[in-house]
Amino acid sequence: MVSVINTVDTSHEDMIHDAQMDYYGTRLATCSSDRSVKIFDVRNGGQILIADLRGHEGPVWQVAWAHPMYGNILASCSYDRKVIIWREENGTWEKSHEHAGHDSSVNSVCWAPHDYGLILACGSSDGAISLLTYTGEGQWEVKKINNAHTIGCNAVSWAPAVVPGSLIDQPSGQKPNYIKKFASGGCDNLIKLWKEEEDGQWKEEQKLEAHSDWVRDVAWAPSIGLPTSTIASCSQDGRVFIWTCDDASGNTWSPKLLHKFNDVVWHVSWSITANILAVSGGDNKVTLWKESVDGQWVCISDVNKGQGSMSASVTEGQQNEQ
Amino acid sequence: TSALCSLLSFVPPQSPAALGLVPRADRVNSGSHLASLLGLTDSGFSDSMEKMSRVTTALGGSVLTGRTMHCHLDAPANAISVCRDAAQVVVAGRSIFKIYAIEEEQFVEKLNLRVGRKPSLNLSCADVVWHQMDENLLATAATNGVVVTWNLGRPSRNKQDQLFTEHKRTVNKVCFHPTEAHVLLSGSQDGFMKCFDLRRKDSVSTFSGEATEAGQGRWWVMTGWVPVLPVLSCCVLRLHPSFAHGQMRDAECEDVLKTTWLLWRLCVAAPLGTLPSGPLFWATGQSESVRDVQFSIRDYFTFASTFENGNVQLWDIRRPDRCERMFTAHNGPVFCCDWHPEDRGWLATGGRDKMVKVWDMTTHRAKEMHCVQTIASVARVKWRPECRHHLATCSMMVDHNIYVWDVRRPFVPAAMFEEHRDVTTGIAWRHPHDPSFLLSGSKDSSLCQHLFRDASQPVERANPEGLCYGLFGDLAFAAKESLVAAESGRKPYTGDRRHPIFFKRKLDPAEPFAGLASSALSVFETEPGGSAMRWFVDTAERYALAGRPLAELCDHNAKVARELGRNQVAQTWTMLRTIYCSPGLLPTANLSHSVGKGGSCGLQLMNSFNLKDMAPGLGSETRLDRSKGDARSDTVLLDSSATLITNEDNEETEGSDVPADYLLGDVEGEDDELYLLDPEHTHPEEPECVLPQEAFPLRHEIVDTPPGPEHLQDKADSPHVSGSEADVASLAPMDSSFSLLSVSHALYDSRLPPDFFSVLVRDMLHFYAEQGDVQMAVSVLIVLGERVRKDIDEQTQEHWYTSYIDLLQRFRLWNVSNEVVKLSTSRAVSCLNQASTTLHVNCSHCKRPMSSRGWVCDRCHRCASMCAVCHHVVKGLFVWCQGCSHGGHLQHIMKWLEGSSHCPAGCGHLCEYS
Repeated sequence: MVSVINTVDTSHEDMIHDAQMDYYGTRLATCSSDRSVKIFDVRNGGQILIADLRGHEGPVWQVAWAHPMYGNILASCSYDRKVIIWREENGTWEKSHEHAGHDSSVNSVCWAPHDYGLILACGSSDGAISLLTYTGEGQWEVKKINNAHTIGCNAVSWAPAVVPGSLIDQPSGQKPNYIKKFASGGCDNLIKLWKEEEDGQWKEEQKLEAHSDWVRDVAWAPSIGLPTSTIASCSQDGRVFIWTCDDASGNTWSPKLLHKFNDVVWHVSWSITANILAVSGGDNKVTLWKESVDGQWVCISDVNKGQGSMSASVTEGQQNEQ
Repeated sequence: TSALCSLLSFVPPQSPAALGLVPRADRVNSGSHLASLLGLTDSGFSDSMEKMSRVTTALGGSVLTGRTMHCHLDAPANAISVCRDAAQVVVAGRSIFKIYAIEEEQFVEKLNLRVGRKPSLNLSCADVVWHQMDENLLATAATNGVVVTWNLGRPSRNKQDQLFTEHKRTVNKVCFHPTEAHVLLSGSQDGFMKCFDLRRKDSVSTFSGEATEAGQGRWWVMTGWVPVLPVLSCCVLRLHPSFAHGQMRDAECEDVLKTTWLLWRLCVAAPLGTLPSGPLFWATGQSESVRDVQFSIRDYFTFASTFENGNVQLWDIRRPDRCERMFTAHNGPVFCCDWHPEDRGWLATGGRDKMVKVWDMTTHRAKEMHCVQTIASVARVKWRPECRHHLATCSMMVDHNIYVWDVRRPFVPAAMFEEHRDVTTGIAWRHPHDPSFLLSGSKDSSLCQHLFRDASQPVERANPEGLCYGLFGDLAFAAKESLVAAESGRKPYTGDRRHPIFFKRKLDPAEPFAGLASSALSVFETEPGGSAMRWFVDTAERYALAGRPLAELCDHNAKVARELGRNQVAQTWTMLRTIYCSPGLLPTANLSHSVGKGGSCGLQLMNSFNLKDMAPGLGSETRLDRSKGDARSDTVLLDSSATLITNEDNEETEGSDVPADYLLGDVEGEDDELYLLDPEHTHPEEPECVLPQEAFPLRHEIVDTPPGPEHLQDKADSPHVSGSEADVASLAPMDSSFSLLSVSHALYDSRLPPDFFSVLVRDMLHFYAEQGDVQMAVSVLIVLGERVRKDIDEQTQEHWYTSYIDLLQRFRLWNVSNEVVKLSTSRAVSCLNQASTTLHVNCSHCKRPMSSRGWVCDRCHRCASMCAVCHHVVKGLFVWCQGCSHGGHLQHIMKWLEGSSHCPAGCGHLCEYS
């Protein structure tokens, strides 16, 4: 079911910490401990190095592509406490902004849905989450949520843009009144949901508690036709939870254990239509999960790194219930 | 204690040549003189080595214990040094000079060497070093340029032993010879290194950092402007407040002097043109300051010194006239260096350029082996005992942490100590053979003992994997490669071939961190034979959404879906057609029959078989079986193929067909009218569909038949079965009515209004949307238009629309996206097309912006949109070159460009059309 179509020779000199495809799925950005960020063109199974971005002074943990309506923009965050926003201009990538507002390693960056404008959330080991909003002419406005997670924040993920309430009353032409929300996961084993108040301040809306160790990644599912909000989270404790919220107010979240792995689970990633979840664990293995009709999460395939073809296995949901 | 006393009859085991020194007659001659002065003989060397090894053995037996702890000092520390017994540490600073005993649980102050009512500047220490052979011997470097030795064995309170006041400025570093008790080396800001014999009152030899650069003296010996500068600088210094209070540090002094000099030169010297170009001398004079001196452990006579201009020099202690070797190690000052404790001739240097470099000094030219990049300028570097690739660093500013690096992994520190709140100024491993205890002093006035096992390990915290779901369903996955794989697949980092890294790692438990790491990045496809989202693109491109009668649209879309192997979707379209195309709208009722006979026939039938599979599972009434009794035999044949179709569907949206049926049934079942119709019409329908027809299009690609669907069906429906009895009863009609759906004309006969199905269709759309197939939801919404729109709330519709449009745009299906926007009835969606639609046009004659809306430019009063080819006003599609703004009819321009690439208007522009 799963096979390697392309092995990218990144020439990174150290561990790669993140790989992100852009909006159109044609470019792949990678970042590594060797302080570099690289961008590859991966169209048609190719791998052409487009850019090798150097500017960080420590391992680069994560990269994030902005929506293409703002141009070709990539954000990267690093151990050097900096967030760098790179921009392609006339075919060359250059540093467009550097945010040095954190006191410790910045672990995660995530762009808000494009409907909100150019907003970047950054989660740092200093426990704070900062939100950079582009205000035009190269200026970025910074808002900071201090002490969002004690010990540190490991992951941030924005909720898809959903307009609350009735649309019909909206006067046409005016920008809809979005409620901005994002989720963050941290070293306090918690997942927190943040909501922007009307006065522009960010407030903790929910605290989701189920993990027994550091939360490594959170991923808010894209809302493609989904009536519910869904968040996937994974943790150092090897467990992956799927959080769903059915009620309109968005206050009741219920966790469902997807699976308990034997090792740290580092990443969760939703497919574009939000019906398949890819999970990567510390044992260098990726598994794909899908919700069956009865609401059980079923593993539909394994991806073992380093092997050409993977064994496809359909595991019954019951197996993963415990 | 003296090596001199040791036996002269000793035959040197190693000649200087064997130690890597080039034997030259003149040097040996001049060197021997000095060597004898110092008591440094080859025999002494061997003797000392022997002694050293004894010491080591003696210490090797003791086991260090302790914990991570810290104690508060009265003042900021500048340097620390450990006694060879590993139980005492000396802390020196501007206003502190104390010895602490390192106990199990705490530091205990043992001795305060800063005695006297008014401590002199001689006690303001920049550096301190404890002799590694003599527990009573210490040396300090004072900020006023004095080198002081201390003898702890003195009975008086004042332990000060000797005072060397030879340096003019701050002494940055003092260093004892590793094996000679009485040889001390100092390096100063004044650019000189001096070698002292502790048995004499003054230095034995002086080494000048610039000795090799012939012809360039220090700035203060330059004639001509010497008289001027001191006067000037004195004035400035007098005026400077901090100098007046005696608080000015050397570096600050320098800055002031430098500024003064520059000012003076600009204002006085340059206009007069009388003096030599000062800054050049400044540059040499300034940069020659010695930052660190370290005796080599490998070569008895060798020491290394580092300079502010980025150079590292290698000296032979017997040759003060010139250095053995000099190379530029860093860009900017080299603040520190450290010889590798194991006999390898490796020298680590750290500089302001934030780098630590490891040099192999055994080769003819110093070879850079490793380069570690830290976050801040490197103030100190110390090799970690027993771990050949590890070294500890601390920074001069910004960063307060101490890092331990594996030089083979230059980007991530292997360990990190975060205890200090201000700049760490001194680090020392507690014992030369114990890798787990590190002592440090800091500007935050604290002394710390760090335990390696308590260090935070950024490597461990680092995420070793990257994962990303691509747009086309492909999965990019980067993961750490195993060390062995890394070794075989890539160029190894180290040139050390004798010990392959992966092999060594197993042997060496003292190195808990992976030496080097690399990751492999692969892109996987989650579906075989092409991208998983191909169906989406194909469907989007081929669907017809408007412009034709509903029946045709449905048929077309069903055909598209079927061709893409999406049978369930195809079936849905067919059913929609059946539901909404009432006979009155169609030319003949027979049409539905012909359709049934055609391609769609198999699908209808398939569905009915599916239902039959389901029926026994639900324990439905026998009536159903009876009613379809004649079809049963066929069913058996078809069962497997029907399952196959189901499976194909599953690839896209697993199990989705099942709940579709379930949803449909759920709604329909509530109406009693339906199953009354059932028995009459199923029978005539069945024979119409000839079995061989449908057997053909079925593909047999998927061989294994997972039990999934059946199970899922059971589960899906079980709540209803287990519900009230009424529910159970309603299930049977549901099934029969379903098969009824495939008989299109039966419905017309019953004259059910299409409204009747709206709830059903609504649920179906919701179902598709939930499955992630928002495409289907939107397509149906558009095709059915008013028929269903009122049943689905506006918000959901808009959400579907925006989701679908967003998806289409991601796949760059601009035309489809535009069509969807155009066809949408939601106001918020359709206004998307009106955004950014302003087009700014320049007049092709006067090249100025067209302000009015008409065709005539109000500046030159000519018509702007003339075709450059036919010279008529263009009233349809106008295409123009953005370079020269000439253009015309699309057809004309296209034709023109076939023959020429120049502008048809004759402006000479090479027009470009994309």
